[in-house]
Formats: sequence, C-alpha cells, structure tokens
Amino acid sequence: MAVLVSRAPRGRTPARRRAAVRRTAGRSLTHLLLLGGGLVWLFPFLWTLGSSFKSSDGFFAKGLNPLPDGAHASNYTSAWKEASFGSYFVNTAVVAAGAVILTLLATSMAGYVLARTDFPGRKACIGLISVTLFLPHGYTIIPIFDIVQKLHLLNTLWSVIIVQSASGLVFATFLFMGYFSTMERDIEDAARVDGAGFHQIFWRVMLPLSGPMIATVGLFTFISAWNSFFIPLVFTLSKPELRTLPVGMYAFLGQNSTDWTFLCAGSVISLVPIVVIFLLLQRYFVNGLAGAVKG
Amino acid sequence: MQLLDTTTPRPPADGRGAAPPASPRKAGLWRRLRAARWSYLYLVPLMALLLTFVVYPIFGSLAYTFYRWNGIGSPEDFVGLGNFRQIAHDSIFWRAVGHTFVYAIVVVPVQLVLALVLALVLNNKKLRFSAFYRTLFFLPVVTSPAVVGVVIQLLVSNFGDTFNNWLLDAHLIGQPVDWLGSPKTALGIIILVGVWQTLGYNLVYFLAGLQTIPEEVYEAAKIDGAGRFRTFTHITVPLLRSVGLMIVILAFIGSFQIFDLVQVLTGGGPYFGTEVVNTYIYHLAFGGNQAQATEPDVGLASAASFFYGLLLISFSVLQVLIFRSIAKRRAAGRA
Repeated sequence: MAVLVSRAPRGRTPARRRAAVRRTAGRSLTHLLLLGGGLVWLFPFLWTLGSSFKSSDGFFAKGLNPLPDGAHASNYTSAWKEASFGSYFVNTAVVAAGAVILTLLATSMAGYVLARTDFPGRKACIGLISVTLFLPHGYTIIPIFDIVQKLHLLNTLWSVIIVQSASGLVFATFLFMGYFSTMERDIEDAARVDGAGFHQIFWRVMLPLSGPMIATVGLFTFISAWNSFFIPLVFTLSKPELRTLPVGMYAFLGQNSTDWTFLCAGSVISLVPIVVIFLLLQRYFVNGLAGAVKG
Repeated sequence: MQLLDTTTPRPPADGRGAAPPASPRKAGLWRRLRAARWSYLYLVPLMALLLTFVVYPIFGSLAYTFYRWNGIGSPEDFVGLGNFRQIAHDSIFWRAVGHTFVYAIVVVPVQLVLALVLALVLNNKKLRFSAFYRTLFFLPVVTSPAVVGVVIQLLVSNFGDTFNNWLLDAHLIGQPVDWLGSPKTALGIIILVGVWQTLGYNLVYFLAGLQTIPEEVYEAAKIDGAGRFRTFTHITVPLLRSVGLMIVILAFIGSFQIFDLVQVLTGGGPYFGTEVVNTYIYHLAFGGNQAQATEPDVGLASAASFFYGLLLISFSVLQVLIFRSIAKRRAAGRA
C-alpha cells in the first residue's frame, strides 16, 4: 500500500486507483493460493514433525492432527541411541560426503575438458555419455555386485560411495559441460597470457568461477546419496553396523511394525541435514542450473 | 606438474586466437594426441567410473540373459533366447509395462503443467517470498522414498482418525477404504505421491529455463503492447522450447524408471495390481513377491531388463523425432 501512496501524487485519477486496487487484490490472491498449495505440499512434513513428539496413544488418538499431545522428546533419544540411528547417521554422512567429493572431482574435470578443449575422440566421449543417459541402469546391480566383490570392497562404505557416485555421473557431467561452455574465452586467454598452464587455468581460474555449478551438482549428489535406499541396502546386507538411515529405517519398520512415533522421529532425523543444506545452497541452485541450460 | 605444464602448447581450441605454426589438421595424430594429453588425464576419473560401473554392467547383464541362473555361483544352464521368449509371453510383465505407462502418462503431463504454472508465477521478480515458496515445493524432492513410504502408509492407513474419517464425515465415501489394499486406489495413491514428490525438480528446471530468457525481450514485447497471454505464447513458449524438450524427456525417463515409491508403498501388490517394470525385475532377481517365482532368476530378470531397455530407447527416439518434426513444421509455417 505504501507503494500506492507514494506513486499517487501525479494524476490521482479514479481509473488509476482502481488499477492499483486490482493489482493489490491480484497479488494477495496469488500469495493466498501459493500459501494454500504450499500447506498441502508441506502437510506430510508437519504431520511427521508433530507426530515425532506424540506418545504412542496420542499417535492413534490424534490421527491427522499434527499437534502433539505433549513433548515426547524421548522418541528422539531412543531412536538415536537404542535403535542406533546415531551410527546410521554417521554412516550416511560419510557416504554422502564421499559421493559428493568423488562426483565433483570426476565431473568437473571431465566437463571442463569436454567443453573447452578439443582432442581426438572428444565427440565419441560425448556420444558415449549421452547414450548412457538413456540406457536403463536399474538392474545392472548384479554385475556391479560382481565387480565390487572382485575389488574386495564388499561390505565397506567405499563400495556404497563409489557405486552411488557412478549413478549420477552422466547428468552432473552434462551440467558442468553446459556451465563451462558458456564462460567467456577471454578469461582463459588472459590467464594464459599471464603464464598459467593447463592445470593452473583449471584449478585456479575455471573451477573457482564455477561456484554455482559446484553447489548445484554437490546438492544433487548429496540429496541422492543421503536418500539412496537400494545401493546401500545391497552392499551392506551382511553388516548391519554399516547401514545408512533409509536402510536402517526400513529394517526397523520390518522388525517393529508398531512403533510409529519412533519412525516419525527417525524420519525427522534423516530430514534435518538435507533441509539445512538445501536452505544454505538453494540460492545458487537455480542460477547454477540456468547457467548450464543456457549453453 | 604445474611448472612443466607452462610449456604445453595450448590444445587446439575453437579456431579463435593465434593459429599454431602448423594447422592442427595437418599436424600428425601423434602430435595432436600429445598436445591433448592433459585433457585425457582429466577424463580418466569419469571414464574409469563410467566404464566400470555403468557401461560394462549393462553389457555384463546382457550375458546373463542367455542363462537360467539363480545368482549363486556362475551361470551354466544355457537357454539361448528362452528367457526373452518367456518374458514376452508373461502376462504379468505386460501388466507391469501397462502400469508403468499409466503412471508416466498421468504423472508427466499433470506435473509439467503444474510446474510450469508455478514457475511462471514464482519467476516474477516483483513477487515477494519467491525463494520461500520455491523451498516449500522443493521439500518433497529432498525426502527419502523410505521416509515418504512410511509417512504415506501412516497417512492413508485404516486405523485412527485419518483421511478415511474425514472423507466419511464429508459423506464422500460410504465406508472406510483400504487405499493401498486394492489395486485401483493403490495405483492412484502412487500417482498422487509421484506428482507430489517430483514436482519440485521440474519447477526448478523450468525456473532455470525461464531465467535464460533475457529481460529485454519481455520489455520489448511490453512496448509493442503485447498482453500477458500473447507474451507467453509468442515469447516464453518458443524461447523455452529446447529446455522444455529436455525437461519432458527427463521426466519421462524418470517416470519409466519408477521403483522406490512402489516398492515402499505396496511392493507391487496387491496381486501385482501396482507392479511396475522395475519392481517386476527386482522380484525376479531377488525373489520376494507373494505368488511369483520363489526361486530368484537373474537370467530372466536380466532379459526383462534388457527388453524393457529396448522399449525405452525406442520410446526416447520416437519422442525426439516427434518434437523435431513439430519444430520443423512450425519453422516452415512461419517462413
């Protein structure tokens, strides 16, 4: 409304005022719709958060009402300690961090040379990468299992990190390729004039300039590694102490199918880090994607 | 390394800049390879991972398709194309294909339209709290399918004061419905959850696409007196087309690979009523579905997987061809 008044002095005609009112009404309606939709979208989270503080009786009595019947934080302490969600948490963090580092290294280096240098076989490399995007790789898990076994990595977190990284490589490489290909040539030329070599240009100039894309790929990789269910399940089958949060939660659901408030606490535990990281990185996220698709 | 590198000739780039003494074409292959040695080195990590864990396994599993094999020891019982024949004649496989297509054909358009509308609204620079709304709609994306499975199962369950009671009170249903217990409603729930969970990705992709349209173009349209609708159809749609094509293809690829949601919500049941291709393959490879093959059959699973892969590739090619011909016809019409 303040805007309305300050704009008004020149020619405060009824027509203008009507237009301004219509604008304000339209804007309020937009916000109302967005908030309503957002609430529907958010409801399962609110309900889970509320239910994680409910008592077992309250859980059934309250049903869909997200408000808890008191503050039963004991759900959290027992999930963390007794059901070893604490160690699942650490495993998940190790896997996610490892996958992020490995993916960023492999895809930024490859994305750079594929976008900015010319070498015999470049087109063949891009072709190979493009084709793999379309090939279904859901059930190649058995040959992968074989390879991991031959590398003596079975039942280690390394196997989960490596296989998890491999699953997102193609898309991340495309993102880096797109991003690097939109950068100005002059930047590299200037660095070269200053005497920088191939490695210096990449590590000291191009990589630091690709911050938004590092954030984007890092976030994508972190999300999928943190939530990954099938890969850690397969590679840590005979070592329960190596379980990640999703696997641990599922195992818990199978064994004690009645302790719902507890599962809600577990869900919240596995959600918190990812929400925090998303909130921290999200402003780079859309810009990074936009930079990549521009190319 | 870095000191040495300063003497490395610049790899022949895009033709700009000072031309090397001999043109790269004429220089021997060996010299071109030598000049590009660092490029190859930088590709090593990606290629090692890609070839070992993505490309080889695709062909590795191809070898299994010719055997009847339970996954223990090494495959010996050679059956030739028998596995493919068995898959092609398995009605459950075709039902699973049908469910997957129904899922994709409902989820993708609904979600893309919703995501595009939301992206157009949220892309408005004058809209306040845009980042906040974006976060709201993106949250389901960052949520593990395991968590989603648990929460949705609880939300639609039969006990306590859940949706059933609300719907009963509103006289929308006559008696409590076992949402995940009957095939039709279960597939419906999976579709709803699918839209809910993956909308955020497409929203962000569309936002990224919209940001690539320069502001000046919109301003020019405004000066020319174009209304909102004309601006959308004449500027936004054409300029968003290439990004849009990528989003559509990614959305279809993602939907055709649906696994986690079905596995955690219904496990493909009841009575294969929500079985999708990936859960079908999973059950073949690892056993575990009520009425199905009790003995895991990796060969059969690999054959199903490969067969489905061929279906998917032909679908992708078809999609690209259709989009191309539409684009061409439009271009011809304008000329």
